[in-house]
Amino acid sequence: MTLLANIFAIFRKELQSYFLSPLAYVVAGLFWLLSGIVFVYLLLSPNGIIQEVAIGEQSGIPMPPVDVAYIFLLRYLGIIGSLTSFIVPMLSMGLYAEERKNGTLELLATSPITNWAVALGKLLGVLMFYITLLIPMLVLELVAFAAADPPVPPAVPLVAHLGLILLAAALLSLGMFLSSLTQSNIIAAILTFALVLLLAIMDLVGRQLGQPYEGAIAHISLIKHYENLVQGVFDSSSLFVFASYIILGIFLTAQSIEILRFQRS
Amino acid sequence: MIEVEHLSKSYGPHPAIEDVFFTVEPGEILGFLGPNGAGKTTTMRILSGYLPASSGTARVAGYDVHTQSMAVRQRIGYLPENPPLYNEMTVLGYLHFVARIKGVSAGDRRKQVDLAIQQCNLETETQTLIGRLSKGFRQRVGLAQAIVHNPPVIILDEPTVGLDPRQIMEVRKLIKGLAGNHTIILSTHILPEVSMTCDRVAIINHGRIVATDAPDTLMEELIGRLGYGVEIGGMSQLLTQKLMAISGVREVQVEDIPDSARTRLQITCHGETEPGSAIANAIIKSGCQLHEMRRTRPTLEDVFLELTTEEEPLPTVDTPIDKVDGDDPELIVDP
Repeated sequence: MTLLANIFAIFRKELQSYFLSPLAYVVAGLFWLLSGIVFVYLLLSPNGIIQEVAIGEQSGIPMPPVDVAYIFLLRYLGIIGSLTSFIVPMLSMGLYAEERKNGTLELLATSPITNWAVALGKLLGVLMFYITLLIPMLVLELVAFAAADPPVPPAVPLVAHLGLILLAAALLSLGMFLSSLTQSNIIAAILTFALVLLLAIMDLVGRQLGQPYEGAIAHISLIKHYENLVQGVFDSSSLFVFASYIILGIFLTAQSIEILRFQRS
Repeated sequence: MIEVEHLSKSYGPHPAIEDVFFTVEPGEILGFLGPNGAGKTTTMRILSGYLPASSGTARVAGYDVHTQSMAVRQRIGYLPENPPLYNEMTVLGYLHFVARIKGVSAGDRRKQVDLAIQQCNLETETQTLIGRLSKGFRQRVGLAQAIVHNPPVIILDEPTVGLDPRQIMEVRKLIKGLAGNHTIILSTHILPEVSMTCDRVAIINHGRIVATDAPDTLMEELIGRLGYGVEIGGMSQLLTQKLMAISGVREVQVEDIPDSARTRLQITCHGETEPGSAIANAIIKSGCQLHEMRRTRPTLEDVFLELTTEEEPLPTVDTPIDKVDGDDPELIVDP
């Protein structure tokens, strides 16, 4: 089917360009460095979870059995989620801004490929790049969890990482839309940072307000649903919320590119 | 193959093109000529589906550009003014990508890309990053992406800009070779190129088509406008008046040759008249020395300038100077 072939062509091009881009390597290096530091700190440092549990056991205070791996995962992915929210703007900023700046949007706009197919292909491309960023992290976690006692059921980290990927996808999708609004990478990045902050504030405010606001905001808060998934609460409503954000981003991108047609001079 | 009727495009109150009307037959090459800002790029962009028109219709390969955009896009190759190149890709990678999104099937892709590379003389640079290419090569890659999927209609916006004379010749050869199997519309400033490659020419000025015809026909229209180039010594105002008084003479342009006492006159004449001997007599009788006299024939440049220059009435003390669109009505050929 040509549609799939088109989407795949854009996906491939986008993914290749990330692997050729110096910026992407800087972002990757930063991400790995920081996630590595956090990993080691959370797990092994004097304030880390292993010590914490050990001290707890030695102090004699009766403590409920602690699933070290599970708590580690919660804390670790909590931080990685925030880290992701900060690097997503740098990954998504160039998706459309570069094309507009270089004039290559003209090529896509005069080829037999629809706006939303381009948007979907680009999103998949950048998401795949993000997933490759996660791979070293996953390896570290595998090593750590292999030594866990009791052994970690594979579903738990799987669902947690699914949450991470969905969070990234939703933010990348919205970031892609913001990138389509401008020719400047920097403006796109700033707008996306602002959006991330806005979502964080919305979630924070939601927790402070009492019901019913808290419930309403929690329903649409990306952060809340991410936490759910990380905790292993696999609720279909979470999937819907993520899917909605992702589809919203793609839809808005396609519309904004279409509107561009009428603004050109 | 291409039919454009009453096409108009305005940016707010400012009209870019108005009531543009032309057709291109299958296999033909149409040259689109006009000064900067005349509306060439706007028209090309509308044909390629990049811009929507404000009114009017454009049909490419039988499909309407506005309502059947996808069908049109499958059938055109488009080279914009700035070739849409991805600087981080190699030439080969880029052409494969373009072939993909233009719908070339996987089996044919290799062959088509190789053919495009060969036709545009890119064999030596297939593995080079586009960002590192010289302007000439970038232009050629742009051309290659317009033809890689073998489209029936090719739209080229200033395909030879930035190329050196030899490269221009190669591109010209390429375009001529494509005609017949492909319908081509190209816009340019370079007039000799137009007369050499194009079957027909459409001249656009201030957003309106002022002439569409074969280059030879257009020049024939002016053939009646013969002229004489004269070099004389001892120029005087009196001579100019005497020359203007000759019945066949339309205009006398005077140019002093520096570092000599001589003057060059360019005399343009009306219609089919040949006032050559009258001119020579006038010059001799007024006591000037006639050093050289030869006929001059008009070129496409003259047609172009004629059709795109505004005539201003001579300023007098009383009347304000008005800009009048002075395109000579004799030369507007109804398509």
